[in-house]
Amino acid sequence: MCLATLEVFWTVIEVMMDVCNWDGTVSAKDFRIGALSFAQKWESLNSAFPPWSWVPCPKHSWLASHEEEGYLSLENICISRPNEEDIDQNSQTDPGEEETSCSEKEDDIDDATLVQSNHHELHYCDFHVVYSYTFRVPVLYLRAYCSDGRPLLLDEIEKELPACSSKELPETKWAFITQEEHPYLKRPWYKLHPCGTSEFMKLLFLGGDTAQPKLEVVLELYLLSWFSAVGQVVGLTIPCKMLNDR
Amino acid sequence: MAKEGSGSILQFAPFQSSVDEGFWHRFSSLKLNKFGIDDSPIAISGFFAPCSHPQVSNHLTLLAESLPSDSNEESSIPAFSRGNRNRCSVPGILYNTNTMESFHGLDKQGLLRAEAKKIWEDVHSGKVLEDSSVLSRFLLISFADLKKWSFHYWFAFPALVLDPPATLVDLRPASQWFTLEEAESVSAACNEWRNSSVTADVPFFLVSVGSDSRAAVRHLKDWETCQYDGQKLLFAFYDPCHLPNNPGWPLRNYLAFICARWNLKTVHFLCYRENRGFADLSLSLVGEALITISQGWREHQCVPNAVGWELNKGRKVPRCINLAKSMDPTRLAISAADLNLKLMRWRALPSLNLDILFSIKCLLLGAGTLGCQVARMLMAWGVRRITLVDNGRVAMSNPLRQSLYTLDDCLNGGDFKATAAVRSLQRIFPAVVAEGVVMAIPMPGHPVSSQEENSVLEDCRRLNDLIGSHDVIFLLTDTRESRWLPTLLCANTNKITITAALGFDSFLVMRHGPGPFNSTPDLKAEMPNSLSAVMDNLALTNTDGKQRLGCYFCNDVVAPTDSTSNRTLDQQCTVTRPGLAPIASALAVELLVGILHHPHGIFAEAEIAKSNNGGSSELPLGILPHQIRGSLPHFQQMTLVGNSSNSCTACCSTVVSEYRKRGMQFILQAINHPTYLEDLTGLTELMRSANTFQLDWDDEMEDADDECIEL
Repeated sequence: MCLATLEVFWTVIEVMMDVCNWDGTVSAKDFRIGALSFAQKWESLNSAFPPWSWVPCPKHSWLASHEEEGYLSLENICISRPNEEDIDQNSQTDPGEEETSCSEKEDDIDDATLVQSNHHELHYCDFHVVYSYTFRVPVLYLRAYCSDGRPLLLDEIEKELPACSSKELPETKWAFITQEEHPYLKRPWYKLHPCGTSEFMKLLFLGGDTAQPKLEVVLELYLLSWFSAVGQVVGLTIPCKMLNDR
Repeated sequence: MAKEGSGSILQFAPFQSSVDEGFWHRFSSLKLNKFGIDDSPIAISGFFAPCSHPQVSNHLTLLAESLPSDSNEESSIPAFSRGNRNRCSVPGILYNTNTMESFHGLDKQGLLRAEAKKIWEDVHSGKVLEDSSVLSRFLLISFADLKKWSFHYWFAFPALVLDPPATLVDLRPASQWFTLEEAESVSAACNEWRNSSVTADVPFFLVSVGSDSRAAVRHLKDWETCQYDGQKLLFAFYDPCHLPNNPGWPLRNYLAFICARWNLKTVHFLCYRENRGFADLSLSLVGEALITISQGWREHQCVPNAVGWELNKGRKVPRCINLAKSMDPTRLAISAADLNLKLMRWRALPSLNLDILFSIKCLLLGAGTLGCQVARMLMAWGVRRITLVDNGRVAMSNPLRQSLYTLDDCLNGGDFKATAAVRSLQRIFPAVVAEGVVMAIPMPGHPVSSQEENSVLEDCRRLNDLIGSHDVIFLLTDTRESRWLPTLLCANTNKITITAALGFDSFLVMRHGPGPFNSTPDLKAEMPNSLSAVMDNLALTNTDGKQRLGCYFCNDVVAPTDSTSNRTLDQQCTVTRPGLAPIASALAVELLVGILHHPHGIFAEAEIAKSNNGGSSELPLGILPHQIRGSLPHFQQMTLVGNSSNSCTACCSTVVSEYRKRGMQFILQAINHPTYLEDLTGLTELMRSANTFQLDWDDEMEDADDECIEL
């Protein structure tokens, strides 16, 4: 895997920092390396889980970084239970439309058209893991929609995702869902606000009586650990194989 | 499960549409920036992929990339490239109308026929052999309401109708039709086809299986050469449908093409479906169809009938989607503003009461340097209901110090400040509920003639109504006497009142204490006379016996008089150091937020800042002082307490009860007779007795000096 690369990279840093002084954040480069290896590993396992992929983004000419930017993406995940009957409020037509909808002169349906009776609405979710330059941590962005593309609002999403309900969120100090513009797609997405991330990441590694791990190990495991904490809020799971290999 | 028997009509599962939000975002942007009112049809691309899940069909999807690029936009959206296995592109056309009426007035049958004709042309010209995706050409009509951010749309997937319809001879899972060896080879060949970027998005192809069980996947144009290659030849296509007993919609035009082009009467077809990215032959179907074509079919000029308008939950109506929440800038501004405050509550101040901030109504008397800044600060705290009262016009020097105005407001004599301020607030935050009132505040010491009396009384009543209909009043005017009437009216109704006043380099920000009568006048009227006499004695104390905090006038020993006439030029044109107004305004608003979060509100006791311990107050926002006096030359601030005075010309019980008894006549008298208030409150008496001995007035007199006039 990318273990060798990381060790080479971090030998220099190891001298300068140790885990106690670590503030819980990662650099953009660490994130990219971690994300690429995360996606690679996930795909190689080819388990029953749908794959995460790295989406590279065109570089902005005014940024000084020489590295490619991008984000991890997992899309089209069905999040609703298949037997639920949902009443779509938004995709109802106006009552006035019914009158002028269609001329009955010609049939729009012929004998060769299958008419399906059940219309249960399925909901899908896209997840992106994007690096935040301000907070220096990964951030989970998500958006949900119906099968016809209509976007779901936060209260509708909360019904579907476990532990994501508004009842639980105020109690969970680390999880706060807000609507903000996706940094690359320039449209409003929901995100788990990152201002608690560095703190809980620090806690994850420093809490407990076991001996302090080396910083390079910490950074390598960063994305996995972050994911295991954040994923719980939205019901994303990591296959055991990803974790066992440590 | 195999479906056998002849004679049953082959039924196809219709295509289902899915429009990603990004498509509408991009379309709106194109409409606003490029197309304008031009409603000529637009060529677009749809995307689909073979079914990838046993229980869910794939949709024909429109994404932002479906639309032509907008040259003005920065390329945050990658242009789609061919060869993407999950995005087989099909050509489509979009007819967008500019009104709802024209949307309903579109000739739907005509448009459908036009697209069907294009398919028919491609069938006969051989275009299908070059680019088979044209068989799945689609049509979209829409009406984009860019004021309400709602989009009405209707898809049609034109299918050439076979007359009589094709019949199904057999339909079964592919794994049951092939031998085990053949199936393996077919899967491998298909996976290879799907993995090559050259062929991954070619949705119609041929699968031939030789007698050696070896399968090969070929392009449609190789059909002639395939005739002799193998024993089994299937017409394969990417089937978005998952149903076990029906093929998907693309097969319709495929069959039409096959029989028109090659005159076949029996067609073996393969509905290619996948699972987790690999060919799934138990999900995929192989079927045999019988086609009888009428004579007219072979004639190129005669375009067959077409069907294909998408049903909306079984009904022949268009779909509608509302994206205001994610596209309407005002809504986005509101949610961003709310987010800021919620973050504050979540991270730093869990007891922050946002509901009260969102719902209180603030009245700002004065829209000058103080008024503009206070209004902005209030909005920053989430206050949404703001009324500004000012009778002046924006002057050329104002924009520099009065943060809501720009040069445009000064032109042509200058707009009324109240109006310009409201306009500015709405530009900053469209969701603010702001009102401007152009009105002068009647002042004692500025007598009015009998002709003006009625309008002055009208102004008094109007001011009273304004105060009555708001929760918080800010006194931000530029004279001492203009604060008198509002103070009295607020004391009468126990409204939260905050005063800010500026000297040249010093300021005062204070909250008035509650009025002398802690119950409302109405309530008091219900009590028996003896009890109301007792109530009158509560003049100086709160219900718990503590001293009532004072108002702006409590410290004064002179009644408010005309301070504007008969002054020297430098006194008339005095200005303040520019930094003062923002500082004082900010403190005034922070003081208000403190009051709103104090359990006793207007009755809260005064606290003084103790310099030795920081943050000793129990309340999360800190202490709640009565008065804050600041001095810029010393960069210092002091918190002070001033209790109410029995002789206060504005809030003492004598004055307030006199007002309650005589109402507007009392006001008029105070306005017209300079010494009336002093006589009434006994200040005249006080002064007389004071003149008989020496006193050190230093501390008290400083207050009078602080009340300088600002331009």
